Amino acid sequence: MSKAGDFVKGAGQIAGAMGVTLKHLTKKPLTVEYPDEPAAVFPRYRGRHMLRRYDAAPGAELGLERCIGCCLCEAACPTGAILVEAAENDPADPHSPGERYAKTYEVNLLRCVFCGDCEEACPTEAVVLTQAFPVPEQDRRSFILVKDQLLEPPESNIVIRPEQ
Amino acid sequence: MPDLVTITIDEVEYKVPAGSLLTDAAKAAADIDIPVFCSHPKLEPLGACRMCLVEQDVRGRWMIVPACTTRVGDGMKFRYASEAATQAREDTLEFILINHPLDCPICDKGGECPLQDQTLKHGPGESEFEEIKTHKEKRYPISDLIMLDQERCIVCWRCIRYLEEWEDKPQLGLFHRGGETVIDFFPEQPVDAKTSGNIIDLCPVGALTNRVSRFRYRPWELKRTKSICTHCSQGCNVRLDARLHQLRRIVARENMAVNDEWICDKGRFFHGFVDHAERLTTPLVRDADTGELREAGWDEALGIVAERLSSIADVHGPGAVGAIGSAKLSNEAAYLLQKLMRSLVGSNNVDHKGGAAVLADPRGLSNIRDVENADVIVLMGVDLAEEQPVLDLFVRRAVRRNGAKLVIIHPRRIEDTRYGGPYVAYKPGEELSALDGLSRALLKQKPVAERAGKLGGLPELTEYLSGGQISQEVAEAARLLAGALRPIVLYGPAVVSGPGGEANRAALMNAALLAGCGDRTFYIAPEANSVGVRDVGLLPNRLPGHLDLSDASSREQMQRIWGSKTPADAGLSYDQMLAAAAEGRLKALYLVASDPAADGPAGAAAVAGADFLVVQDMFLTASAQQADVVLPAVSWAETDGTFTNLERRVQRAPKALANPHSKAAADWSILLHLARAWPVSTDEQPAKAGKSRRDGSQKGKRERADTPKQWKYASVQEVLEEIGRAFPAYAATDWASLGEHGRQWAADSVPPVARRLAVPARPARAWLDDFPFALVTGRLLFDDSTLMTKTRPASAVATVSINPGDAAAADVQAGEAVLVASPAGQLELTVRIDDAVLPGTLWIPYSQADAPVETLLSAAGDGVGTPVRLMSLQTVSEKAG
Repeated sequence: MSKAGDFVKGAGQIAGAMGVTLKHLTKKPLTVEYPDEPAAVFPRYRGRHMLRRYDAAPGAELGLERCIGCCLCEAACPTGAILVEAAENDPADPHSPGERYAKTYEVNLLRCVFCGDCEEACPTEAVVLTQAFPVPEQDRRSFILVKDQLLEPPESNIVIRPEQ
Repeated sequence: MPDLVTITIDEVEYKVPAGSLLTDAAKAAADIDIPVFCSHPKLEPLGACRMCLVEQDVRGRWMIVPACTTRVGDGMKFRYASEAATQAREDTLEFILINHPLDCPICDKGGECPLQDQTLKHGPGESEFEEIKTHKEKRYPISDLIMLDQERCIVCWRCIRYLEEWEDKPQLGLFHRGGETVIDFFPEQPVDAKTSGNIIDLCPVGALTNRVSRFRYRPWELKRTKSICTHCSQGCNVRLDARLHQLRRIVARENMAVNDEWICDKGRFFHGFVDHAERLTTPLVRDADTGELREAGWDEALGIVAERLSSIADVHGPGAVGAIGSAKLSNEAAYLLQKLMRSLVGSNNVDHKGGAAVLADPRGLSNIRDVENADVIVLMGVDLAEEQPVLDLFVRRAVRRNGAKLVIIHPRRIEDTRYGGPYVAYKPGEELSALDGLSRALLKQKPVAERAGKLGGLPELTEYLSGGQISQEVAEAARLLAGALRPIVLYGPAVVSGPGGEANRAALMNAALLAGCGDRTFYIAPEANSVGVRDVGLLPNRLPGHLDLSDASSREQMQRIWGSKTPADAGLSYDQMLAAAAEGRLKALYLVASDPAADGPAGAAAVAGADFLVVQDMFLTASAQQADVVLPAVSWAETDGTFTNLERRVQRAPKALANPHSKAAADWSILLHLARAWPVSTDEQPAKAGKSRRDGSQKGKRERADTPKQWKYASVQEVLEEIGRAFPAYAATDWASLGEHGRQWAADSVPPVARRLAVPARPARAWLDDFPFALVTGRLLFDDSTLMTKTRPASAVATVSINPGDAAAADVQAGEAVLVASPAGQLELTVRIDDAVLPGTLWIPYSQADAPVETLLSAAGDGVGTPVRLMSLQTVSEKAG
């Protein structure tokens, strides 16, 4: 092919590429400035874990914990990311309904693959995967969520986008 | 071998033993697992739960019958898989589940629950019942150790039957009727049977659960280790269940030769010391500047111990070093301790409490289950209910099931006297009179007189026994023994200890020979490894294998294995070491799992008197607090080891867990590394004159330079192999061949105790007019020993028990504080009034917190028995005022 032919072809390609650029110059950017701006997630997105409570009884500030420390989530977990240690409730000041509650409940987010098997296994719908993003941390130990962090998840700036 | 009969199950014919239960026959012949709840191989058939329903052809009609109570006969026809039978079982399960709460997620049984398993396998899948379930007590303690959930109970009666058939203590019963039926104890009488925990293992649902382990495990997440219990010499087989490096639960393991499948409550529930926060986790060394114990590394601590022990042995002679072990040590740790003392230090000063002072028979019991087949059982100075609860189960079984008679000779009216056999009482120190009385009564029995003619030494014995009264109880005991076909005599260490031990053993053997059971008279060892530590030579006068120290060929045999000479002179015994340390003659004392300072003034003086004290223990005990170096040891669960039980069965206790944050090490490993740290000198100078050591050896340190080469063990298994070379009876008990159930070493490896009639030499009786009572002491199952107090709170008060008549005469009330004094010392105690205590005696158990009864026991050699007096504290203060 001749040099002139090369030139014409090249110019055409550049013009086409510039066309794409110029087309988007007028559109809004796709980048989300998370966490300053809300991130949109799908309804079935599986994010950071949370331990739920029952509705508070009238007059009480907090409801009882749903978790009874049965360790079934721990057994179901394919990566061994969950640690549960149970203890006996004080009948006068119970943590959960019944005799047993989780004294320790830890999730190691570095091990977790967010498969949701713990949710499936839970007989009381206590542990759920929220749509929140796990918070980045500086050291490995901080990725182990303890029970208090799971019971009171931090605010996460997300919006649920409609399923397509 | 019972006759075989032909039965038909589901149109297939099988040959099964006549009279066996259909459930067992179907399993053995046809491999059909008929589901059961109430039926249990160790309990009598009952047929309470109806889970095992099958169809039987009764005169041409198919009837639904329970398989667990049906004994098979020739030509019987059954249907297991038929529609009607399957439907019947499904319906039964659905019925059982009507009121079962299905709270499996919070139930400790969930995951290992027969009801869960059978619901999955045989259940209908869904229930027709929509009504609200009955509610009962969910958190109902039936004792301090066991929790009952009445809602979960399916009324199978297993717990009730166990307590009746094995414990012979019917402490649980069924109350109310129909759907309201509940298991309950009788008012104000919580379950206190010594082996009550077995009903937890038996319960086929989660109705009875372990309060100590409550909610601390889920079955699927446990690391299970087949081990043994080390609380007493029975050596019950257990499984240690660990999670997160903690011992979470102990359950029984079946070993038909040792413990059937039962364990006592001490073995099941009292393991809290393993994970205790006060466990020593690092070596401690006494700081030269501050005088306080400070943390140190292993190299530093072992370096100090090796350097000081060897230099004391060099300067003051090896006899200035002593080591005290314990009958709770494993065979390997005990072997290495005595080897270290004999081959590196060059001293025979090695013993344990209850060691050289007790004339133990190394053969121990022939076989544990022999007890069940005896027709007359003599218990001499041994309280099985407190000391060996599982052995006691077999004794009770013999009495209850086989009609065996119990003859009890004991200074206290122990629990087993409830069986009403002859009870011969004696005061401690008067064992000889009691046994002589029995021999005297036996000679009056016609069959005995005939048999005795063949025994040598009869005329002398008859002469010695002539005269003297025979009480009615003794005469009855003699009558039973004379007519017995399979009598058995069990005696405890108390009978053969101290200055009277020799005479007592001779008198006991006389009575046994006259009764025709000289070869069925057995020593019941007390501690977990009382037999084993003797086998491996943790005694001042015996080498491994019970070899006599004074025999040169025995010493040569050890020299070939150890590569160094063994000193010929017998070392100091436990009591002698304590006395020598207190007087300053023993410069260095090495205590392994031993705490003499807690045992009263003699031990405290020894610990205070030793120039250099090393304590190797799990806790900072009273002795350890005064030590120069403290070496942290681990429990039996945290290392491999073997233990030899009272019937010479060597059993494995493998490592079940380890605390990753602790620097504590196993006893055998500490001893091994101490030997490796032993100073090796290239200096070939002969030892200085006057420091002759090791049987005339003058080579001094040169010998030592070679010695650590003999200390190469990669594991406990290799130590066990060397024990097998030192004591050939152990050659067959290498780690692999011990298996899960252990092996007995052959009894004929050691010579039997003399079996001939002999006139016992009557020892001096320490009887003083000022001290009107005789002191009775002994072990209780739930005592306040170190390991127990680390598991549960110690009893609030230390008590002395007194007969009601004596209490009235002495004018003391229950709960009153009194001073109990003996010529050796005195103790302040609280009075308990107890019918079981004989008149003229006071009962003070061992190991009461802060009140060691050893305070009252006089040092060996003062004569037999300990006379004591009791004074109200009020009287004491009045006199002082």
